[in-house]
Amino acid sequence: MEVNGQLALTVLMGVFLIAVAAWLARVEDWRSYTPLAGGGTVGGTAEQYVSEEKPSGVIRWLTTVDHKDIGMLYGAYALVAFAVGGLMVVLMRIELADPSMTLISNTFYNSLLTSHGITMLFLFGTPIIAAFSNYFIPLLIGADDMAFPRINAIAFWLLPPAALLIWAGFFPIPDVIPAQTAWTMYTPLSAGVGSGNQMNAGVDLMLLGLHLSGVSATMGAINFIATIFTERNEKVSWANLDIFSWTILTQSGLILFAFPLLGSAIVMLLLDRNFGTMFFSVDGGAILWQHLFWFFGHPEVYILVLPPMGIVSLVLPRFAGRRLFGFKFVVYSTLAIGVLSFGVWAHHMFATGIDPRLRASFMAVSLAIAIPSAVKTFNWITTMWNGKIRLTTPMLFCIGFVSNFIIGGVTGVFLASIPVDLVLHDTYYVVGHFHYIVMGAIAFAGFAGLYYWFPIYTGRMYQVTLGKWHFWLSMVGTNLTFFAMILLGYGGMPRRYATYLPQFATLHQVATVGALILLVGQIIFVWNFVQSWLEGREVQDGDPWDLADDDLVTAEWTWFERKLETAVTDGGEEETELATDGGQTVDDADAESADDA
Amino acid sequence: MATKTFDKETILDLTVNMVPLAIILFFVVAFTFVNPFGFESLTSGLQYTLLIAPFVLLAALTYLSGKAIAGSEKEGTVYAPGQATVPGAKPLHEAEGEETAELEESTDDDAVEAADETA
Repeated sequence: MEVNGQLALTVLMGVFLIAVAAWLARVEDWRSYTPLAGGGTVGGTAEQYVSEEKPSGVIRWLTTVDHKDIGMLYGAYALVAFAVGGLMVVLMRIELADPSMTLISNTFYNSLLTSHGITMLFLFGTPIIAAFSNYFIPLLIGADDMAFPRINAIAFWLLPPAALLIWAGFFPIPDVIPAQTAWTMYTPLSAGVGSGNQMNAGVDLMLLGLHLSGVSATMGAINFIATIFTERNEKVSWANLDIFSWTILTQSGLILFAFPLLGSAIVMLLLDRNFGTMFFSVDGGAILWQHLFWFFGHPEVYILVLPPMGIVSLVLPRFAGRRLFGFKFVVYSTLAIGVLSFGVWAHHMFATGIDPRLRASFMAVSLAIAIPSAVKTFNWITTMWNGKIRLTTPMLFCIGFVSNFIIGGVTGVFLASIPVDLVLHDTYYVVGHFHYIVMGAIAFAGFAGLYYWFPIYTGRMYQVTLGKWHFWLSMVGTNLTFFAMILLGYGGMPRRYATYLPQFATLHQVATVGALILLVGQIIFVWNFVQSWLEGREVQDGDPWDLADDDLVTAEWTWFERKLETAVTDGGEEETELATDGGQTVDDADAESADDA
Repeated sequence: MATKTFDKETILDLTVNMVPLAIILFFVVAFTFVNPFGFESLTSGLQYTLLIAPFVLLAALTYLSGKAIAGSEKEGTVYAPGQATVPGAKPLHEAEGEETAELEESTDDDAVEAADETA
């Protein structure tokens, strides 16, 4: 009998799958971490559960439901995305050093522009925040873990396929090209209408990836809301809740109301593209898309900026030697931003010709939302006023955040005014404004957090001099690049173009130089980060920033101190990791709960 | 009960959200008196809804969060934010009391020094 080739392949695949299953069954006793309601495990005691909670090696990272591990996964993912999005824009900025099309084609520029935006907002911004919140929120509020640890893991594992789908057009797949719709995906371009090439499957894959990242963010948000409401230590009342948890709670509320709408709009767009529906093809369809998109899109801005504000509000006072000035002002203004962020979406649409009465209302609320943001800025400045300032790297990034946030914020207030917006709409002024926020503020706060908590998640200290080089290059690069963009906008340079008139060349070249300075800064960061993680000085003290001197120690550092102490009791440095993984049996109930976290 | 929860201190904290509320209210009144685009029931209705809805929601959230925070302040011990589970952390009123005492002490010392110098 002739052996069919396909049959042979099927059998081979079957044998391979059985081999994989057998290998997975051998590398770990899977039943050992099937928890029972009573806290024990099938076939084991509670102690066994604790000590065998995690497998080792890659399997640990693939199967973990520990909030700290998931935080690390989010962090690694976000930094890889930051590198990808950053390199994309470096290529774009080099192209823009010359007015005409030189290095890359105009269509490839459009592809990079689209992917840079989506990557930075959805694959870097949201995940880097999730990295901090996953790792630290349970520690800060005295919870054992997140309310739903497995949902937490699923939320993360949706992200890698999301990234692959979003970047699919760049892979060598036949007939698939990258999306060129910009991150706003305005119809009719994104609906594939007309003679362009945006009917391509690359756009569909990007939309599906974006949808997946939205599902992930929503699952994470539900988890944080449940955790902060129900899993707090009994001592952590609403009055005792730290500022980072407040901002994450507000952010999660925003995600819960905003992302499902994006998901619905994306599904409608996919239906228009593939199944002949006409949600966005009929009269008013383009405006409908803009309303749906920006009802998500503007809260998204605050989804991205509130937690970094929380990080700065937490870190900045530690190096000013005093508690945050007007703590409750910051809490209430965070909540105010949360509510008002849903009432300003059409300020992105002032130039579309919507009714002037509606524009006026959106302008009013846009001006009102500036107040809570300004209040926070005054609180940060007042906290530093006459304080014992220590210019450590995280503190420098916090001060850089405040400085850049002021420029980004003030330029934004002008845009809230209809007449000014009509002049500056779709110019580089807008690009400069929001990059001062997303790079100058959000990424800076991310770096502040990464440096501040570096000892906790690595057990080591970063190299101080390199940290300061990273800050100063980032600060100079950011201001050079984005201030040049603001000036370009005043000059009338429209955004999103791969080529431009020669009169804009000088400022574009300044912006390119700034971007290259930023690149050098980030290379130093990667070097410092990786080398210090592997070879940095080991931290012996649970309070490496000497926060106790000013009574500013927060819960995560006491957890870290206990971790170091128990590691020593357990038999020295060699077993640091074991102690972290399993925790110790400690008589003190509080210590035990924090240990398990 | 409400007046007890919302004492002078809490109301002072909540003023931060009253400013945006006042701005929105200002525009509601302003658009009523200065209305160059005329009145049209659907559009003007939406115009006011877009102002009044955020106003009501913000007022409600401010009230609820103020009540939750001020209420838990009354019911339990208040620590500095993020420090409730830190071993040995002092309740906020004790820490603040000590700071005030230190300040007063240093002021007294200064007064004594000044008196000595004068003498």
